[in-house]
Amino acid sequence: MSGYTDLQLDALRELANIGSCTAGTALSGMIGRAIDVSVPQALALPLPDAVDAVGDPGQDVTGIVLPVIGDVEAIVLMLFDAADEACLCGLLGAEPAGELGRSAMSEIGNILSASYVRAFGAMTGLELEPEPEPPILLHDMRGAIVASALAPTSGGAGVALLLDSDLRIEGEHCNFTFLLLPTAAGVDELLLRLGVAG
Amino acid sequence: MVRMGELATSTDPGAVLAAIGLGSCVGLALIDRGAGVAGLAHIMLPADTGGSVQPGKFADTGVPALIERMAARGALRVRLEAVLVGGAQMLGAAGNRLDVGARNEAATRSALTRAGVRIVAAETGGTTGRTVRVRVGPGEVSVKEAGGAVTALWPAAPAQMGVAA
Repeated sequence: MSGYTDLQLDALRELANIGSCTAGTALSGMIGRAIDVSVPQALALPLPDAVDAVGDPGQDVTGIVLPVIGDVEAIVLMLFDAADEACLCGLLGAEPAGELGRSAMSEIGNILSASYVRAFGAMTGLELEPEPEPPILLHDMRGAIVASALAPTSGGAGVALLLDSDLRIEGEHCNFTFLLLPTAAGVDELLLRLGVAG
Repeated sequence: MVRMGELATSTDPGAVLAAIGLGSCVGLALIDRGAGVAGLAHIMLPADTGGSVQPGKFADTGVPALIERMAARGALRVRLEAVLVGGAQMLGAAGNRLDVGARNEAATRSALTRAGVRIVAAETGGTTGRTVRVRVGPGEVSVKEAGGAVTALWPAAPAQMGVAA
Protein backbone atom coordinates (compact mmCIF):
# COMPACT_ATOMS: atom_id res chain seq x y z
CA MET A 1 0.00 0.00 0.00
CA SER A 2 2.80 2.39 0.89
CA GLY A 3 4.49 2.10 -2.49
CA TYR A 4 7.92 1.59 -0.94
CA THR A 5 9.46 -1.74 0.07
CA ASP A 6 10.80 -2.49 3.56
CA LEU A 7 14.32 -2.52 2.09
CA GLN A 8 13.81 0.97 0.67
CA LEU A 9 12.37 2.31 3.92
CA ASP A 10 15.29 0.77 5.83
CA ALA A 11 17.76 2.51 3.53
CA LEU A 12 15.97 5.84 3.97
CA ARG A 13 15.84 5.32 7.74
CA GLU A 14 19.59 4.77 7.80
CA LEU A 15 20.10 7.94 5.79
CA ALA A 16 17.85 9.85 8.20
CA ASN A 17 19.81 8.38 11.10
CA ILE A 18 23.08 9.75 9.77
CA GLY A 19 21.44 13.10 9.01
CA SER A 20 19.89 13.48 12.45
CA CYS A 21 23.05 12.37 14.28
CA THR A 22 25.00 15.00 12.35
CA ALA A 23 22.34 17.59 13.19
CA GLY A 24 22.43 16.49 16.85
CA THR A 25 26.20 16.99 16.95
CA ALA A 26 25.79 20.47 15.48
CA LEU A 27 23.13 21.36 18.08
CA SER A 28 25.30 19.96 20.85
CA GLY A 29 28.15 22.24 19.76
CA MET A 30 25.76 25.19 19.76
CA ILE A 31 24.30 24.76 23.26
CA GLY A 32 27.12 22.84 24.98
CA ARG A 33 24.91 19.89 25.99
CA ALA A 34 24.84 16.26 24.91
CA ILE A 35 22.00 15.37 22.54
CA ASP A 36 20.26 12.00 22.33
CA VAL A 37 19.03 11.17 18.87
CA SER A 38 16.38 8.46 18.59
CA VAL A 39 16.48 5.97 15.75
CA PRO A 40 14.41 7.77 13.13
CA GLN A 41 11.24 6.45 11.59
CA ALA A 42 10.76 6.25 7.83
CA LEU A 43 7.02 6.31 7.30
CA ALA A 44 5.27 6.08 3.97
CA LEU A 45 1.64 6.88 4.71
CA PRO A 46 -1.52 8.05 2.99
CA LEU A 47 -1.59 11.84 3.42
CA PRO A 48 -4.28 12.09 6.12
CA ASP A 49 -2.47 9.43 8.18
CA ALA A 50 0.84 11.26 7.66
CA VAL A 51 -0.63 14.40 9.25
CA ASP A 52 -1.97 12.37 12.19
CA ALA A 53 1.33 10.50 12.65
CA VAL A 54 3.13 13.74 13.49
CA GLY A 55 0.82 14.46 16.43
CA ASP A 56 -2.39 16.20 17.57
CA PRO A 57 -3.30 18.45 14.62
CA GLY A 58 -5.12 20.98 16.80
CA GLN A 59 -2.26 21.70 19.22
CA ASP A 60 -0.51 25.07 18.93
CA VAL A 61 3.20 24.54 18.24
CA THR A 62 6.17 26.37 16.82
CA GLY A 63 7.35 25.23 13.42
CA ILE A 64 10.51 25.99 11.51
CA VAL A 65 10.24 25.36 7.78
CA LEU A 66 13.17 25.28 5.37
CA PRO A 67 12.82 24.35 1.73
CA VAL A 68 15.65 22.18 0.37
CA ILE A 69 16.79 22.76 -3.19
CA GLY A 70 19.16 20.96 -5.54
CA ASP A 71 19.02 17.40 -6.88
CA VAL A 72 16.26 16.53 -4.42
CA GLU A 73 13.41 18.85 -3.54
CA ALA A 74 12.18 18.56 0.00
CA ILE A 75 11.07 20.52 3.03
CA VAL A 76 12.75 20.34 6.41
CA LEU A 77 10.21 20.83 9.16
CA MET A 78 11.05 21.15 12.85
CA LEU A 79 8.24 21.18 15.44
CA PHE A 80 8.48 22.33 19.05
CA ASP A 81 5.83 22.68 21.70
CA ALA A 82 5.89 25.79 23.87
CA ALA A 83 7.88 24.19 26.71
CA ASP A 84 10.52 22.81 24.35
CA GLU A 85 10.90 26.16 22.62
CA ALA A 86 11.29 27.91 25.99
CA CYS A 87 13.90 25.34 27.04
CA LEU A 88 15.95 25.68 23.84
CA CYS A 89 15.79 29.47 23.92
CA GLY A 90 16.75 29.38 27.60
CA LEU A 91 19.86 27.37 26.82
CA LEU A 92 20.80 30.09 24.34
CA GLY A 93 19.97 32.87 26.81
CA ALA A 94 16.94 34.17 24.92
CA GLU A 95 13.26 34.77 25.76
CA PRO A 96 11.17 32.66 23.39
CA ALA A 97 8.60 35.39 22.71
CA GLY A 98 11.07 38.19 21.98
CA GLU A 99 13.06 39.14 18.92
CA LEU A 100 16.10 37.37 20.34
CA GLY A 101 14.08 34.19 20.76
CA ARG A 102 12.92 34.30 17.16
CA SER A 103 16.45 34.81 16.02
CA ALA A 104 17.72 31.96 18.22
CA MET A 105 15.08 29.60 16.80
CA SER A 106 15.94 30.65 13.24
CA GLU A 107 19.60 30.00 13.92
CA ILE A 108 18.83 26.56 15.34
CA GLY A 109 16.78 25.90 12.21
CA ASN A 110 19.60 26.99 9.94
CA ILE A 111 22.32 24.99 11.63
CA LEU A 112 20.36 21.79 12.12
CA SER A 113 18.87 21.69 8.66
CA ALA A 114 22.17 22.55 6.97
CA SER A 115 24.04 19.79 8.81
CA TYR A 116 21.24 17.25 8.24
CA VAL A 117 20.90 18.02 4.56
CA ARG A 118 24.66 18.12 3.90
CA ALA A 119 25.04 14.71 5.55
CA PHE A 120 22.42 13.45 3.08
CA GLY A 121 24.40 14.98 0.23
CA ALA A 122 27.69 13.48 1.40
CA MET A 123 26.14 10.00 1.72
CA THR A 124 24.42 10.01 -1.66
CA GLY A 125 26.64 12.22 -3.81
CA LEU A 126 23.66 14.48 -4.47
CA GLU A 127 23.83 18.25 -4.37
CA LEU A 128 21.45 19.46 -1.67
CA GLU A 129 21.24 22.78 0.11
CA PRO A 130 18.71 24.46 2.34
CA GLU A 131 17.32 27.46 0.48
CA PRO A 132 19.64 30.41 1.20
CA GLU A 133 16.95 32.40 2.96
CA PRO A 134 16.03 32.72 6.62
CA PRO A 135 13.83 29.83 7.77
CA ILE A 136 10.09 30.37 8.01
CA LEU A 137 9.11 30.52 11.67
CA LEU A 138 5.45 29.76 12.45
CA HIS A 139 3.33 29.64 15.56
CA ASP A 140 0.27 27.73 14.53
CA MET A 141 -1.77 24.53 14.79
CA ARG A 142 0.40 21.48 14.19
CA GLY A 143 -1.97 20.12 11.55
CA ALA A 144 -1.99 23.42 9.64
CA ILE A 145 1.81 23.53 9.55
CA VAL A 146 2.29 19.87 8.58
CA ALA A 147 -0.49 19.86 5.97
CA SER A 148 0.78 23.07 4.39
CA ALA A 149 4.26 21.58 4.09
CA LEU A 150 2.92 18.28 2.71
CA ALA A 151 0.64 19.90 0.11
CA PRO A 152 3.43 21.27 -2.13
CA THR A 153 5.87 18.38 -1.54
CA SER A 154 3.48 15.47 -1.99
CA GLY A 155 1.78 17.11 -4.97
CA GLY A 156 -0.87 14.81 -6.34
CA ALA A 157 0.73 11.68 -4.87
CA GLY A 158 -1.40 9.67 -2.49
CA VAL A 159 1.45 8.72 -0.19
CA ALA A 160 3.76 10.98 1.79
CA LEU A 161 7.18 9.93 3.03
CA LEU A 162 8.10 11.19 6.48
CA LEU A 163 11.62 10.84 7.81
CA ASP A 164 10.96 11.53 11.46
CA SER A 165 13.72 11.98 14.07
CA ASP A 166 13.43 12.95 17.73
CA LEU A 167 16.22 14.95 19.31
CA ARG A 168 16.40 15.13 23.10
CA ILE A 169 18.65 17.39 25.13
CA GLU A 170 20.33 15.42 27.91
CA GLY A 171 19.49 16.60 31.40
CA GLU A 172 16.44 18.61 30.23
CA HIS A 173 12.83 17.69 29.55
CA CYS A 174 13.26 19.02 26.09
CA ASN A 175 12.86 17.21 22.81
CA PHE A 176 11.58 18.06 19.39
CA THR A 177 10.65 16.56 16.06
CA PHE A 178 12.77 16.92 12.98
CA LEU A 179 11.11 15.92 9.70
CA LEU A 180 12.31 15.68 6.14
CA LEU A 181 9.48 15.71 3.61
CA PRO A 182 10.84 14.95 0.14
CA THR A 183 8.83 15.14 -3.07
CA ALA A 184 7.99 11.78 -4.71
CA ALA A 185 10.61 12.52 -7.38
CA GLY A 186 13.08 13.37 -4.62
CA VAL A 187 12.47 10.02 -2.92
CA ASP A 188 13.09 8.20 -6.22
CA GLU A 189 16.37 10.06 -6.66
CA LEU A 190 17.49 9.19 -3.11
CA LEU A 191 16.58 5.50 -3.61
CA LEU A 192 18.48 5.42 -6.90
CA ARG A 193 21.61 6.76 -5.21
CA LEU A 194 21.22 4.32 -2.34
CA GLY A 195 21.12 1.47 -4.86
CA VAL A 196 17.59 0.36 -3.90
CA ALA A 197 15.53 1.96 -6.68
CA GLY A 198 12.21 0.23 -7.35
CA MET B 1 -13.35 14.43 11.60
CA VAL B 2 -12.58 15.29 7.98
CA ARG B 3 -8.85 14.87 7.44
CA MET B 4 -6.70 16.23 4.64
CA GLY B 5 -8.09 15.20 1.25
CA GLU B 6 -11.24 13.64 2.72
CA LEU B 7 -14.87 14.62 2.39
CA ALA B 8 -17.90 13.78 4.49
CA THR B 9 -21.65 14.36 4.54
CA SER B 10 -24.22 13.88 7.26
CA THR B 11 -27.96 14.07 7.91
CA ASP B 12 -27.63 13.39 11.64
CA PRO B 13 -28.88 16.58 13.39
CA GLY B 14 -26.54 15.93 16.33
CA ALA B 15 -23.42 15.44 14.23
CA VAL B 16 -20.52 17.86 13.94
CA LEU B 17 -18.20 17.75 10.93
CA ALA B 18 -14.77 19.21 11.65
CA ALA B 19 -11.53 19.90 9.81
CA ILE B 20 -8.80 20.60 12.34
CA GLY B 21 -5.74 22.64 11.45
CA LEU B 22 -6.49 24.03 8.01
CA GLY B 23 -3.42 25.90 6.81
CA SER B 24 -3.12 26.34 3.08
CA CYS B 25 -5.91 23.75 2.75
CA VAL B 26 -9.49 24.94 2.22
CA GLY B 27 -12.41 23.63 4.22
CA LEU B 28 -15.56 23.78 2.08
CA ALA B 29 -18.83 23.42 3.97
CA LEU B 30 -22.06 22.86 2.05
CA ILE B 31 -25.42 23.14 3.77
CA ASP B 32 -28.95 22.38 2.57
CA ARG B 33 -31.29 23.56 5.33
CA GLY B 34 -34.38 22.26 3.53
CA ALA B 35 -33.09 18.70 3.38
CA GLY B 36 -31.13 18.84 6.65
CA VAL B 37 -27.90 17.76 4.95
CA ALA B 38 -24.43 19.17 5.52
CA GLY B 39 -21.07 18.28 4.02
CA LEU B 40 -17.45 19.21 4.46
CA ALA B 41 -14.44 18.77 2.17
CA HIS B 42 -10.80 19.27 3.24
CA ILE B 43 -9.23 20.41 -0.04
CA MET B 44 -5.45 20.31 -0.32
CA LEU B 45 -4.50 21.38 -3.85
CA PRO B 46 -6.16 23.31 -6.69
CA ALA B 47 -6.23 20.65 -9.41
CA ASP B 48 -5.85 16.94 -9.91
CA THR B 49 -2.77 16.23 -12.00
CA GLY B 50 -2.83 12.46 -12.23
CA GLY B 51 -6.23 10.79 -11.86
CA SER B 52 -6.12 10.41 -8.09
CA VAL B 53 -8.44 7.93 -6.40
CA GLN B 54 -9.17 10.55 -3.75
CA PRO B 55 -11.31 13.27 -5.35
CA GLY B 56 -11.63 15.24 -2.10
CA LYS B 57 -7.98 16.26 -2.26
CA PHE B 58 -8.38 18.66 -5.16
CA ALA B 59 -10.67 21.64 -5.70
CA ASP B 60 -11.52 20.74 -9.30
CA THR B 61 -12.65 17.20 -8.41
CA GLY B 62 -13.58 17.70 -4.74
CA VAL B 63 -16.28 20.33 -5.27
CA PRO B 64 -18.34 18.24 -7.76
CA ALA B 65 -17.75 15.11 -5.64
CA LEU B 66 -19.09 16.79 -2.49
CA ILE B 67 -22.11 18.20 -4.35
CA GLU B 68 -22.85 14.71 -5.72
CA ARG B 69 -22.62 13.13 -2.24
CA MET B 70 -24.95 15.84 -0.89
CA ALA B 71 -27.43 15.20 -3.72
CA ALA B 72 -27.37 11.48 -2.98
CA ARG B 73 -28.59 12.35 0.53
CA GLY B 74 -31.42 14.48 -0.78
CA ALA B 75 -29.83 17.92 -1.10
CA LEU B 76 -30.88 20.25 -3.92
CA ARG B 77 -28.15 22.19 -5.68
CA VAL B 78 -30.19 25.43 -5.75
CA ARG B 79 -30.62 25.34 -1.98
CA LEU B 80 -26.93 24.77 -1.21
CA GLU B 81 -25.07 27.35 0.83
CA ALA B 82 -21.28 27.21 0.58
CA VAL B 83 -18.92 28.44 3.31
CA LEU B 84 -15.16 28.62 2.71
CA VAL B 85 -12.53 28.54 5.45
CA GLY B 86 -8.74 28.36 5.19
CA GLY B 87 -6.46 28.97 2.24
CA ALA B 88 -3.94 30.78 4.42
CA GLN B 89 -0.51 31.74 3.16
CA MET B 90 1.52 29.64 5.56
CA LEU B 91 4.93 29.19 3.98
CA GLY B 92 6.63 32.36 2.86
CA ALA B 93 5.71 35.12 0.48
CA ALA B 94 2.66 35.20 -1.78
CA GLY B 95 3.26 33.78 -5.23
CA ASN B 96 6.03 31.58 -3.81
CA ARG B 97 5.87 28.02 -5.16
CA LEU B 98 5.06 26.74 -1.66
CA ASP B 99 2.12 29.09 -1.27
CA VAL B 100 -0.86 27.05 -2.41
CA GLY B 101 -3.43 28.68 -0.09
CA ALA B 102 -4.58 31.46 -2.43
CA ARG B 103 -4.66 29.08 -5.40
CA ASN B 104 -6.73 26.59 -3.40
CA GLU B 105 -9.26 29.28 -2.56
CA ALA B 106 -9.45 30.58 -6.15
CA ALA B 107 -9.88 27.07 -7.56
CA THR B 108 -12.59 26.23 -5.01
CA ARG B 109 -14.49 29.45 -5.75
CA SER B 110 -14.40 28.88 -9.50
CA ALA B 111 -15.49 25.24 -9.15
CA LEU B 112 -18.47 26.42 -7.04
CA THR B 113 -19.32 29.08 -9.63
CA ARG B 114 -19.19 26.47 -12.40
CA ALA B 115 -21.54 24.28 -10.37
CA GLY B 116 -23.92 27.19 -9.71
CA VAL B 117 -23.54 27.04 -5.92
CA ARG B 118 -23.59 30.34 -4.03
CA ILE B 119 -20.95 31.24 -1.47
CA VAL B 120 -22.64 32.77 1.57
CA ALA B 121 -19.65 33.29 3.86
CA ALA B 122 -15.88 32.92 3.86
CA GLU B 123 -12.98 33.33 6.22
CA THR B 124 -9.92 32.81 4.08
CA GLY B 125 -6.41 34.08 3.39
CA GLY B 126 -4.17 35.64 6.02
CA THR B 127 -1.26 33.75 7.50
CA THR B 128 -2.93 31.81 10.33
CA GLY B 129 -4.26 28.27 10.47
CA ARG B 130 -7.91 27.61 11.29
CA THR B 131 -10.26 24.88 12.45
CA VAL B 132 -13.77 24.72 11.00
CA ARG B 133 -16.78 22.98 12.54
CA VAL B 134 -20.16 22.39 10.92
CA ARG B 135 -23.10 21.57 13.20
CA VAL B 136 -25.37 19.58 10.94
CA GLY B 137 -28.72 20.13 12.70
CA PRO B 138 -28.75 23.94 12.88
CA GLY B 139 -26.55 24.27 9.78
CA GLU B 140 -24.04 26.41 11.67
CA VAL B 141 -20.41 26.95 10.72
CA SER B 142 -17.86 28.14 13.27
CA VAL B 143 -14.18 28.95 12.94
CA LYS B 144 -11.31 28.97 15.40
CA GLU B 145 -8.01 30.58 14.47
CA ALA B 146 -4.76 29.25 15.95
CA GLY B 147 -4.44 30.83 19.39
CA GLY B 148 -7.87 32.47 19.09
CA ALA B 149 -11.45 31.94 20.23
CA VAL B 150 -14.27 30.16 18.41
CA THR B 151 -16.38 32.55 16.32
CA ALA B 152 -19.65 31.93 14.51
CA LEU B 153 -19.22 32.40 10.77
CA TRP B 154 -22.58 31.28 9.36
CA PRO B 155 -25.43 32.04 9.67
CA ALA B 156 -24.26 35.62 10.05
CA ALA B 157 -25.12 37.64 13.15
CA PRO B 158 -28.53 39.39 12.75
CA ALA B 159 -26.96 42.83 12.20
CA GLN B 160 -25.06 41.52 9.19
CA MET B 161 -27.85 39.41 7.80
CA GLY B 162 -28.83 41.93 5.13
CA VAL B 163 -25.26 42.23 3.88
CA ALA B 164 -24.58 38.54 3.81
CA ALA B 165 -27.81 37.67 2.01
